[in-house]
Amino acid sequence: MSIRWSRQKSKETESVSALEAWADTRNKTMNEALITLDNLGIGYNRQPILSDISLSIARASFTAILGANGSGKSTLLKTVLGLLPPVAGHITTVSTDVPLVFGYVPQAIQFDPIYMLTGFEVALMGVYGRVGPGRIVPSAERDFTRECLDAAGAEEFAHKRFAELSGGQKQRVLIARALVTRPDLLVLDEPTAGVDHETTHAVLDFISKINKEKGITILLVTHDFMMVRKHAGQVIWIYEGKVLLGPAKELLAAERMAEIFEIGVG
Amino acid sequence: MDTLHQILSPDFLLRNSIYTSVLVGLACPLVGVFLVMRRLVFMGVALPQISSTGVAIALSLPLWLGFNKTGQGALNAHALAFSGSITFSLVAILLLAFMERRGRGQPEGRLGTAYVVASALSILLLAKNPYGEIGWLDMLKGEVITISNSDLILTAATLALVLVVLGVFHKELLFVSFDREMAITLRKNVVFWDVLLYLLIGLTVSIAVLSVGPLIAFGFLLIPALTAHYISRNMRQFMLLASLIGGVAAFIGFYIAYSWDLPVGPTDVVLLGLLYVAVWMVVRILPGGARLT
Repeated sequence: MSIRWSRQKSKETESVSALEAWADTRNKTMNEALITLDNLGIGYNRQPILSDISLSIARASFTAILGANGSGKSTLLKTVLGLLPPVAGHITTVSTDVPLVFGYVPQAIQFDPIYMLTGFEVALMGVYGRVGPGRIVPSAERDFTRECLDAAGAEEFAHKRFAELSGGQKQRVLIARALVTRPDLLVLDEPTAGVDHETTHAVLDFISKINKEKGITILLVTHDFMMVRKHAGQVIWIYEGKVLLGPAKELLAAERMAEIFEIGVG
Repeated sequence: MDTLHQILSPDFLLRNSIYTSVLVGLACPLVGVFLVMRRLVFMGVALPQISSTGVAIALSLPLWLGFNKTGQGALNAHALAFSGSITFSLVAILLLAFMERRGRGQPEGRLGTAYVVASALSILLLAKNPYGEIGWLDMLKGEVITISNSDLILTAATLALVLVVLGVFHKELLFVSFDREMAITLRKNVVFWDVLLYLLIGLTVSIAVLSVGPLIAFGFLLIPALTAHYISRNMRQFMLLASLIGGVAAFIGFYIAYSWDLPVGPTDVVLLGLLYVAVWMVVRILPGGARLT
């Protein structure tokens, strides 16, 4: 399955697309810490699952969160997104005039099929952060949504009902929707769960591509060690209640992994 | 055809009843769509019943407070009923929604208990209030025949307000219903939009219960939306078809009831039920027609 990132070359030479112009502004401020977790405790109902998490996520980095089921990966992600309050510590974001924008890509399976929304209508929700209550979505924002759908390889099925799309197609629509938000940080919660191997490769190749070419910061939750080794620069590995942070190549080296599994994190 | 001409005539004696039926038929399914999408069908059953309990309590108030029962005017009784209906609807929907958000216990159990206790309480209250009993039983049966001009204006104004707010903020209400988490990440005030939606549902239910009774209000809230879901391809069709089915069923139901001397409300609901079954069968027979409801 091929992924189309840009529109046709002839169009590119005429003008820089809205998506590319926005991405260029991201590239100018690479390497600064976008988000810093300081002695963060995460959990539900004030009961911590993980404690004392201190780490930074650099702008334009590709960070993967690895860990077994129930280890706290999604809880960490939701705390970073502001969906759950921290149990302890705090999260600081890079100092800007406007708050950080998160492009959240949840698991496609969580959406109720009763909603009769097309892929385009789902992707269009990405602009709602910029369009005030009761306002009609401007045509420029609709064009930008189409551009993002095109970039994510989702334009050809965007007119179909979201509920009737395959798992991989839904993920592409959700990634397009996250791009439509013009995110500082693209946050993906197991985007390849329930998706076949070929589509998994295609989706992660696409995410990697927008990270490298557009400088969009990626925070990805996954189980897939192989994919992380291939794409991620940094890994947050949650293992037996401890949080390990390091470069992917170093942390996922065979000797280091054997050491972790054999003797534990401590 | 004579009956149809008679019903459509501006001098028709029961014109307020048919206008009210059609208004309720058009408006209820629009909020019903949100109940169906949010999987709150049980709330659609319990809420009209709780609202009618509010009416029963309001109509019992003068008796409890020792006011002159026989001196009660129809307008005062209606104002009391409206206050009771709207207060109970809004308090119940906000409370049930809050408990659902907390995610503890069994929502179906809470709604079922609320429904059955509200039903029993209404009967107990009005068994001891001979002045309220007659009117309340008419309401329960869906006898949409004694609608005054002021009732009609109140119904039309309330439903118009609901429709305008639903139309203007449709984007936000749909967004927080479909993907609450993303709405939070985009810094939408999801609690505000939830409360607004519940207020609209509560307001519609209150006015529908007063106009056509709890059974019929429930019928119009849910059956048109469930029927429309089988045959719609997108959200716009879903909402418009649900409203259209409700409005047309209200009119045809009134026509049948008037022609055959039947109570209007139950006729409407049976008609909606038959339409639902017919659409379901057609969708099942047609290739690729099975829906996800």
